[in-house]
Amino acid sequence: MIRAADASDSLIFTGEMYGLQLDHLAGLLGGSQRGATATVSRWTAAGLAESDNLGPGHRWIWLTKAGLAACGLPFTARAPALSQLAHLRAVTAARLALAATPQFTAGQGYWRSERRIRARFGRRIAIREHVPDGEVHWPECTGLAWAGECWAIEAELTPKTVVKTVAIMRELLARTGDYGCEPADILVPGQPQRHARAIYLCSPAARNVVARARDEAGDLADRIEIRPLPADALRRPAS
Amino acid sequence: MIRRWLSLLVAQVIFQVMVRLISLTIMLAVAIALAPVTLVAAGGLATAWYLGLPPRRLLTAAAWCLPMVITWLIATAVTSGWSAALAVPFHAWLTFWELARAGRVPQAADAVAPAALPLGLLAGALAWAYRIRALRTGAGGFAPDSAVAFDQRQWRHQARTARALIAAPGSVPLIYGREDLLGVGAVIRSTGHRPGRVASIGYQRMRSHQVVVGTTGTGKTTLLLRLWAGFMAAGFRRHAAGLGEPPLLVVLDCKGGSDARKIADRTRRVLRDAGARSTAIWPDEMSLSLWTLPPRQLATTLVDLIEHGTGAAAYYTDVMEALIGLAVEAPAGPPANSQELLSRLEPGWLAAAYATVGTAADHLMIRSASKHLADVALRFRTLFRRLGDGFDGSATFAEADAWYCVLEGTDQISVAEGQARALVDLLASFAARGQVKREILLAVDEFSAVSRRLPIWQLYERARSLGLAVQVSAQSWHGLGVAEDERNRIAATAEGGIWLLRTPQPEPVIALAGTRKQVDTTRQLRRFPFWSRQGSSRLRETPVVDPALIRSLDTGQVAYLYRGGVTYLQVKRLTATAAQVSQEARERPAAKTQAPAPARRALPDVSELLDAAFGTEHSR
Repeated sequence: MIRAADASDSLIFTGEMYGLQLDHLAGLLGGSQRGATATVSRWTAAGLAESDNLGPGHRWIWLTKAGLAACGLPFTARAPALSQLAHLRAVTAARLALAATPQFTAGQGYWRSERRIRARFGRRIAIREHVPDGEVHWPECTGLAWAGECWAIEAELTPKTVVKTVAIMRELLARTGDYGCEPADILVPGQPQRHARAIYLCSPAARNVVARARDEAGDLADRIEIRPLPADALRRPAS
Repeated sequence: MIRRWLSLLVAQVIFQVMVRLISLTIMLAVAIALAPVTLVAAGGLATAWYLGLPPRRLLTAAAWCLPMVITWLIATAVTSGWSAALAVPFHAWLTFWELARAGRVPQAADAVAPAALPLGLLAGALAWAYRIRALRTGAGGFAPDSAVAFDQRQWRHQARTARALIAAPGSVPLIYGREDLLGVGAVIRSTGHRPGRVASIGYQRMRSHQVVVGTTGTGKTTLLLRLWAGFMAAGFRRHAAGLGEPPLLVVLDCKGGSDARKIADRTRRVLRDAGARSTAIWPDEMSLSLWTLPPRQLATTLVDLIEHGTGAAAYYTDVMEALIGLAVEAPAGPPANSQELLSRLEPGWLAAAYATVGTAADHLMIRSASKHLADVALRFRTLFRRLGDGFDGSATFAEADAWYCVLEGTDQISVAEGQARALVDLLASFAARGQVKREILLAVDEFSAVSRRLPIWQLYERARSLGLAVQVSAQSWHGLGVAEDERNRIAATAEGGIWLLRTPQPEPVIALAGTRKQVDTTRQLRRFPFWSRQGSSRLRETPVVDPALIRSLDTGQVAYLYRGGVTYLQVKRLTATAAQVSQEARERPAAKTQAPAPARRALPDVSELLDAAFGTEHSR
């Protein structure tokens, strides 16, 4: 079970993930959906968040401009895009599942969300870099074997082509610089790669393509882990 | 008789003067009666003169007033009926004079503005068009040099307006519109092209061959960077929309030296902002593999890299070709690098390699040519030493979005020629094989440095089928090729247009733009410096592009020649983010700075964590 977060942590979590559904918020708060609903009511009454039935399943909650400002998050306030709802749910489920493990707590793992990464880009035109759905940073000196590593997390709901998937894998694992860094630092020969490994969390539909792409990635295949998406990653109707 | 004739002459003069005075009086009366329209027309005329605007811009401004006029008429019709709406301009005019007489000028202007603005702008546009036309045909102006002075003054005004436009942030977007137009700069003036404020070309024109001619310090690099960045940005946008393959830009900087590294740095920053993830700098940072060429083509390219003689030397060329062919197409497969090729040219290797599988002709050739093996090996050893290790790498063009290849054409012309030849062959092979489909633009900068041994026009003629566009830039017309025929071939097949910057001899390029019909008026000189009002006009052909104007272009001013028209523009400089190429790389340009990646320790097993969080890899 995930360590229950307090309401302020949940508010930040919601802002970092663009938005999340009520059942995930309940899981995050470690309580019932009724308790989560009450929390959402408080947030909306304070003008920190909005909620609505954006699609099938539970209500979605996202932060307003005031909510983002209260959290100190430099993002643009907007409702989650309808085309992204399934993907956002999958990534949130993956983050919650990883955070629920004892190693994550013991290793003081830190999830850097896609929204945080994108916020570093500003408004430059035609940015074509592939941005992972999240990064997990494992600080050194925590006793874990993989301490000091940075992982790229990819949630794959629908299959892409193998060629494109291989290209993304190569980009993720060859990169040396942080996102938003100077162009010269993106790929510096001789420097250690930014992502020690890429974790692909796949729906059943996408799993075969990702597995084939890993086979074609050559030497990089050892650094690619494929796992199924958590059971609650797919959208489901509200109970 | 004489007195009568003189009286008639005086009467005729008096009549003419009277007619002119009456005409002027009527015109003045109308202008005063329609004072609001006159004022707007005068203002529009003055603005167009000061900014060097074409009359079309005033017409456009008048058209943009129409919504206001329609709203005004509808509002009047709704409140007072349709008959009132029809008469409202007249009433507005009356109101204007009543308020003006009362000293309430702002209210008077407000009352008449909906009618006066469009009419005044229209009148101003007509007057401005008349003025331009009169001076262009030589029928206007008081003095013989009026037309010349007017044109020069207007050019200064237009250039000033264009400079002001490009100074405004965001005024010239890199790409815009549904057609993925590449914004290049601000239009100064145009002939035969549709006038507009922003000079732009479509992406498809960047997919055609282009020629850029301009001397040093005229803004050629700024123009090229803009075009390259636009090509990349538009290409990526089209690829994202599923309209094409991703773009690939290959730049051959044939000048070399430390300047080339600085431009490479700037290019990488600019392309990065245009969406290119990676710009490889050859040979400083990445090396290509010449040895991935198909064996037969590899043999041809290798032989072409060596400079041949004629006459008796042709015999040795044939021998060399035969030996290289045997070494490259050996049963063991093509060589993997230059060292392997040289080892194959050691005595005995060819005989051993073909001992069991070679034909009688192969054995005969090996026996007869073996006495030249040492000479051929020596020539290739020298060639590889001079070429450096830029072709012994493992990369292909697919591994970067853009390649900036620095060829030391200033220091070592023959080396640069060989490198250019090999790079172009590699690129053509990459495009022809089509394993990774890309929309390719090959830009050859300072082409004159390698034009002697790089028959780019051959590539021109087969490039379209390969999905490859070629952009050649040189400092002068003569830099485009060794022979006039070559230069004409290159310029005449530049379907994407010719960019002409300041150059001392623009005539050969200008001739390609053709001529246009122009009315030329001759008038009698009554008394210097004034014309009489009598004369005759005739139609004549004049060059579309004025060579004197090209010779006097300022830095950043470009003439774009396309389909018999020309647009003069001021290029908008692209600014990029911080420096990319390290100081170390700049100081040691010839040294290959690619360091080996640090040995990666074996990754610890994280299966336990991932299995606990998500399940095993094959679960579900």
